[in-house]
Amino acid sequence: MNVETFKYDNRIVRAFAIATVVWGIVGMLVGILAAVELFFPGANLNLQFITFGRIRPLHTNAVIFAFVGNGMFMGIYYSLQRLCKARMFSDWLSWFNFWGWQTIIVAAAVTLPLGFTTSKEYAELEWPIKIAITIVWVAFAVNLFGTIVKRREKHMYVAIWFYIATVVTVAVLHITNSMTMPAGWFKSYSMYAGVQDALVQWWYGHNAVAFFLTTPYLGLMYYFLPKAANRPVFSYRLSIIHFWALVFLYIWAGPHHLLYSALPDWAQSLGMVFSLMLIAPSWGGMLNGLLTLRGAWDKVRQDPVLKFMVVAITAYGMATLEGPLLSIKTVNSLSHYTDWTIAHVHVGAMGWNGFLTFSMLYYLFPRLYKTQLWSTKMANYHFWIGLLGMMFYCIPIYVAGVTEGLMWKQFNKDGFLQYPNFLETILQVVPMFRLRAIGGTLYLVGAFMMAYNLYRTAKAGQFEPDTEAQAAPLEKTVAPHGKPSWHRLLEGKPLFFTVLATVSILVGGLVEIVPMFLVQANVPTIASVHPYSPLEVLGRDIYIREGCLGCHSQMIRPFRSETERYGEYSKAGEFVYDHPFLWGSERKGPDLAREGGKYPDAWHYTHMDDPRSTSPGSIMPRYSWLLTQKMEVDTLPSHLIALRRIGVPYPAGYENGPAQKDLQAQADKIVANLKQGSITAEPDKEIVALIAYLQRLGMDIKSAPITTAAK
Amino acid sequence: MIYNIVHSILRAAGNINGYGLFSFILFFGFFIGVLVWAFALKKNYLNHMGDLPLDGGEKNSTDKTQSDKL
Repeated sequence: MNVETFKYDNRIVRAFAIATVVWGIVGMLVGILAAVELFFPGANLNLQFITFGRIRPLHTNAVIFAFVGNGMFMGIYYSLQRLCKARMFSDWLSWFNFWGWQTIIVAAAVTLPLGFTTSKEYAELEWPIKIAITIVWVAFAVNLFGTIVKRREKHMYVAIWFYIATVVTVAVLHITNSMTMPAGWFKSYSMYAGVQDALVQWWYGHNAVAFFLTTPYLGLMYYFLPKAANRPVFSYRLSIIHFWALVFLYIWAGPHHLLYSALPDWAQSLGMVFSLMLIAPSWGGMLNGLLTLRGAWDKVRQDPVLKFMVVAITAYGMATLEGPLLSIKTVNSLSHYTDWTIAHVHVGAMGWNGFLTFSMLYYLFPRLYKTQLWSTKMANYHFWIGLLGMMFYCIPIYVAGVTEGLMWKQFNKDGFLQYPNFLETILQVVPMFRLRAIGGTLYLVGAFMMAYNLYRTAKAGQFEPDTEAQAAPLEKTVAPHGKPSWHRLLEGKPLFFTVLATVSILVGGLVEIVPMFLVQANVPTIASVHPYSPLEVLGRDIYIREGCLGCHSQMIRPFRSETERYGEYSKAGEFVYDHPFLWGSERKGPDLAREGGKYPDAWHYTHMDDPRSTSPGSIMPRYSWLLTQKMEVDTLPSHLIALRRIGVPYPAGYENGPAQKDLQAQADKIVANLKQGSITAEPDKEIVALIAYLQRLGMDIKSAPITTAAK
Repeated sequence: MIYNIVHSILRAAGNINGYGLFSFILFFGFFIGVLVWAFALKKNYLNHMGDLPLDGGEKNSTDKTQSDKL
């Protein structure tokens, strides 16, 4: 047989490995700063660039796209070459992928603290960066498919299926959710509004978890676990069922982020049922992983790589059991908006993604450097300190989440809210926030230990830039029994396979999203709802810039505990001009959907300057810069034009004069109100715009009788 | 008549509408299809596939990668 000799590219694997370590540490550091700010609001040193609202998205983006993203590329570039018995399709594309991705991360690290954000969770980056992401992702896809096409192994192992599903689905999600109308170089408005925007965002948000944090890592599990344990996967048949059931089901589950919201009930039910069904394939995959170690548990005791993997797979199992349970409407009514969700995602991020990344790094470094791991003992210490850190993080936050949920819902014997002051419920869990920061710090210490261990390993060894390999080229074979089987056809033809996988992931999205856009009854309009005034638009932009929705929701659920606390529950028709929707997913402060008219303008002014002066003990940071910074009136025309283009009915030419006059009149009125409260303010300051926006919230249906009219 | 019976059962079971029913049938059919397909695969093929990660084609693979220098 004709055997070819070729070389695997290790340089690209090493580059992504170093990047995942560096960005992982950065992402965790930012996470700890955010955690500290939640019990010590002065930790931002009164700097706007590192306030909680701005660094929360920095932390989530750094962990998801920089830490896990680079870890994913590291694992894929290593395993794909070996599973295809071929070098990557193009070294140039590999390095374009690497440097492009790092540039995007740096751009995110600069723009998010500056307040350039779309506000859509895990999709915060503004449109020029979104375009860059698309280009880099396409380069990765071409490189991946090119390698698959030139492979020397006839069959595509299941890990490659997971990689293909990842590439295709992330592209679909990213493009659909990134449909925005630019209003400047670093400002854009989502094409969708309100309920529709919420559905698209959480279809994206949930599947970012599914297809960025889960499917590629499952592929990596199916490759690295058998390698590390030196035995084949427990059941290849189960892995096939795992794959198809998972990719088909995952895409439907997005609406479970919007239970009891203004989203139509049918979409919520679909999200809930499909989330519950997800337990089956997820646990199939987890068991397949753990059972791969049958008869090899003695190795787990000694090998840190396997130790990390076992905890990672167990965390995957825990998170994928808890996720569906949280999707049950009754459970969700308690858990939503609380820290329970935060605990849940950290089991996934720290346990599943973090520990699997660590295991891959411990596996790869000795092999890339042709040496032994510098210290197995230190890796074992890392394992235990990381595990303890995870426990110290998650357990207090679970307690905090359940406490918040119960306190928000508690009525006294007279039928009034037991804790009518929201702040009281947050102060109750502040000790848990402190413990959480300790847990996060322990986890970070472990990561530093790993970085040092890997550095010493690299120093001790000799890097092998290319690994020589041999395999026979793929010959065109004729099936022995005439027609090739359905399965052979499927996984022998990458294009056909990709089309099928794409159809599987599209079905769920289409069934949920298309009716939401086409059937008007899904969003009953309310006659009294009208577009935001120019000053309110600028105020809303500031609200988005500061990341207020990181702590304040704008979606009152139809529970008595919520309507008593906040007022009338939120209706779909209230949000038809909300580009983007700002419902939020977390309450560290009260819901603001009916904030308008609750407090005088002067209260807002004082509160934003120093929240503790109006709410003693508040954990909200100061926003004193809003009192001195001038609002960007010059950008108003481009913002209004962009909003008009996506359907907000501002009259033609409104931005050339009339809008500025309206803005001035409203600002003067607020300044006059402030004067009554003995506050002297200038009408061109950002605080005036923000007050205008906050005082508008919920006023459309407060000021007029509700005349719901389904068109 | 059968339609009415089915409709009233679904409504009583939790107001299940067309979207829910369509989605369920779609997934159920898909899942059964995958199940049948997976169980129809030949044993020697599955064994070959399971072994794929273990043979990376490397010419010199050494797998003694742990030590203790701490």
